[in-house]
Parts: sequence; structure tokens; C-alpha cells
Amino acid sequence: MKSTEDISRVMDTYGDMVRRICFVHLKSRHDTEDVFQNVYMKYLLSEEAFESSEHEKAWFIRVTVNACTDWLRYFSRRKWVPLDLIQEESAVLDGTSREVLEVVLKLPEKYRNVIYLFYYEGYSAVEIARILGRKENTVYTWLARAKDILRERLGGEWA
Amino acid sequence: MNVIRNSMEGIRASEELKKNTLRYLEKHQNRPGGSGAHVRIKYVFAAICVLFLLGTGGYSAYIRPVSYVSIDVNPSIELGINQFGRVVKTSAYQETGQEVLAHVSLNHLMYLEAIGQLLENNAFRRYIKEDSLLMITVISDNQDRMMEEIEADEILQRYGVMAYTSDTTCMEEAHAHEMSFGKYRACLELLQYDESVTLEDCHGMTMREIRNRTEGCMGGKEETSLEGTGTGTTGTGGLHHEGHHGH
Repeated sequence: MKSTEDISRVMDTYGDMVRRICFVHLKSRHDTEDVFQNVYMKYLLSEEAFESSEHEKAWFIRVTVNACTDWLRYFSRRKWVPLDLIQEESAVLDGTSREVLEVVLKLPEKYRNVIYLFYYEGYSAVEIARILGRKENTVYTWLARAKDILRERLGGEWA
Repeated sequence: MNVIRNSMEGIRASEELKKNTLRYLEKHQNRPGGSGAHVRIKYVFAAICVLFLLGTGGYSAYIRPVSYVSIDVNPSIELGINQFGRVVKTSAYQETGQEVLAHVSLNHLMYLEAIGQLLENNAFRRYIKEDSLLMITVISDNQDRMMEEIEADEILQRYGVMAYTSDTTCMEEAHAHEMSFGKYRACLELLQYDESVTLEDCHGMTMREIRNRTEGCMGGKEETSLEGTGTGTTGTGGLHHEGHHGH
């Protein structure tokens, strides 16, 4: 079991990222809090020995994506409309950000993951494929389709 | 900085969320027995549920499979699913499949969770290669709903699964040939196009080999439905919609 110091460190380092991944998947603050806690519980109980900080970060991404997927599968079933959560975050979002987020959050789940990892975390398609355990070609396809949808809905100069 | 990064910059873990999480983890750390106690509580709860079912005569309904799912790569695993969607029976028709089942416990899990656990289990994963083909075949009175659930499942999508339906007649024939009904369905499809192949030949073939050979034989031929051949099988095309399996 990990130490309290260790937990505090990874909370400071990855807390915002875990929160953002939850945000792109989940429909409410309560769901987010539950999954957020589950992710850190998994870390607490994990015996995984990380080779580097990149390895550790990739572990958090993978575990959070899977935790969100499992949560949706077992507790929600329905594909949600993201407006509720966006409204909760409205204090920190300007008009453009709100519009962009609404479009991003309406993308199919698999596209949301790659768009977040590509544009926010700055991972390459090869790295995303490794983290998510998918084929590179699949990630390239998802990225291309997601970009097409964003271009169509946000206009040409969205990136 | 791109607009997507900009739009998400303000989404952060609040101090309250972090504090609640730390408090939650702290409780767990300080709890006598830690996660072990948690697991024990789950077992006690499960035992109470079983006793309740026994007491009300519902146990026989609980253990009776009403739907079946065949998971085929080579090896093949079959799951029997009760009316509550939980796995109550597992079986395999090759040594490799039996070996996998010895390493993973799927009973009493919801069927999608069971399939997910099977696919994530190392004993099964070692048979899934880069070019492997995973087929799932369903027999159920609620097959439309199950097919929808399978098609919507993220884990199964990740594996690029192909999903089909079959029926109990086909399952009985399959078992008479010591084969899962999912693999049997695929073999019947191949036999339809390639008369030189026998069911015996199919025993040692992977689902990818059966599929490739079927597609190779089909070539530019007019596609023919299996319906009406007396097999009772019906492919739905599943996650990979490949016209010739359509209703």
C-alpha cells in the first residue's frame, strides 16, 4: 500500500488531469467525485512499480479512462448530454471555451479520449495508441474523424 | 495554445475534491483489515443474497441459463446466462479453453463484465495476437437487446469484436461435434463456400483462419444467406457490418 506522502504527491501532480479526463466522460459532479476517488484508491492499492514519471502518468490516464468507461457501463448506460456539467463549470469558461467544450463533449467517447490526449496532453498518436492499448491506425482514424467533426461544427480555424 | 487546450485549462480538481478523496483514502488506510475487510463484506452480502434466494425457492431460477454467449478466438468459451444477466455456467471444448477457465472465475458476474474480465485475463490474452479475430455469438430470446449491449460495449469495441446470433438447435449440433456454437456457426458458413473443408478440419483452425478462408472462397461470388440451410444460424454483422450476414 502506498504512503500518505506518495498519495499527496500524485494528487498534486495528476489531480487536474484525472479531473479533466473524468470531465470529458462523466455527466455529473457526483460521478466525477466517485470515479476520481476510485482512481486514487486503485493507486493506493496498486503494487505497480513505475519506471519513470511518464510511465506513472500513462498509468493514471489508462486507469482513469477505464474507470470512466466502467462507470458509464455499469451505472449509467445512456450517452449523456454534457450541458449540466458545463453549466457547473461555467464560472471558469468563457463563451468560446464553452462552445468548444460542448462540441468536444458531444463527440463519441473514443474520439473524446484521443482529442483530449492529443490536444491537451500533447501526446502523439503512437503514444496514445500505447496508452490506450489500441492499434496506431485506429488512433489515426479516430483523430481524423474527430477533427472532421470539430472542423464541421466549429469552423476551419478551430485548432 | 490551441482552443481545445484553452477550453479545458480551467477544468481542475478543486481543493474540496482533493480533500474529500484524501479523507476517503485515509479511512481506507486506517480501516482494520483494509481492502480484505471490504472483500469479506461483499462475500457476506453475497451469501445473504444466496440464502434469501434459497429460502424463497428462487435459487433454481437463478442457476438456470436462459441465454448463451460463445466467445471464440481459438480457444472458445461458452457462458450460460440467467434471467438476471449473470453468468451461471461456463464451458470450453478444447484443453486450451478449459485451461483458461481454470484461471478465471466468471460465475455470478454480469455477462458483459464476465466477457471483459475474460478478455483482460492473461491466460486468455496470450491467445489474442495482433491479427486475431474475436467473434461473439449470442443465443437468447432477448438477442436484440444483448446485441445492442455488445455493440455499445467499449471493451468489446476495443477488441474489434464481430457479433452474431444463433439458436439452440445449432448449439446442440455444435456440442455433438464438440465445438462451441460460435465456432460451429463460422464453420458452417465456410462449409457453404468450400466443400473441401470438413468440420474436423475446422477444429484446429482459429477464427481468423476460418474467416480468411471464407472470405477467400467468397471472392466475387453472389453472397448467400445461411437462412434456409437448416442450420438455424443468422449472422447479424455485429460490430463489423459485413453485408453478407445481414438478416
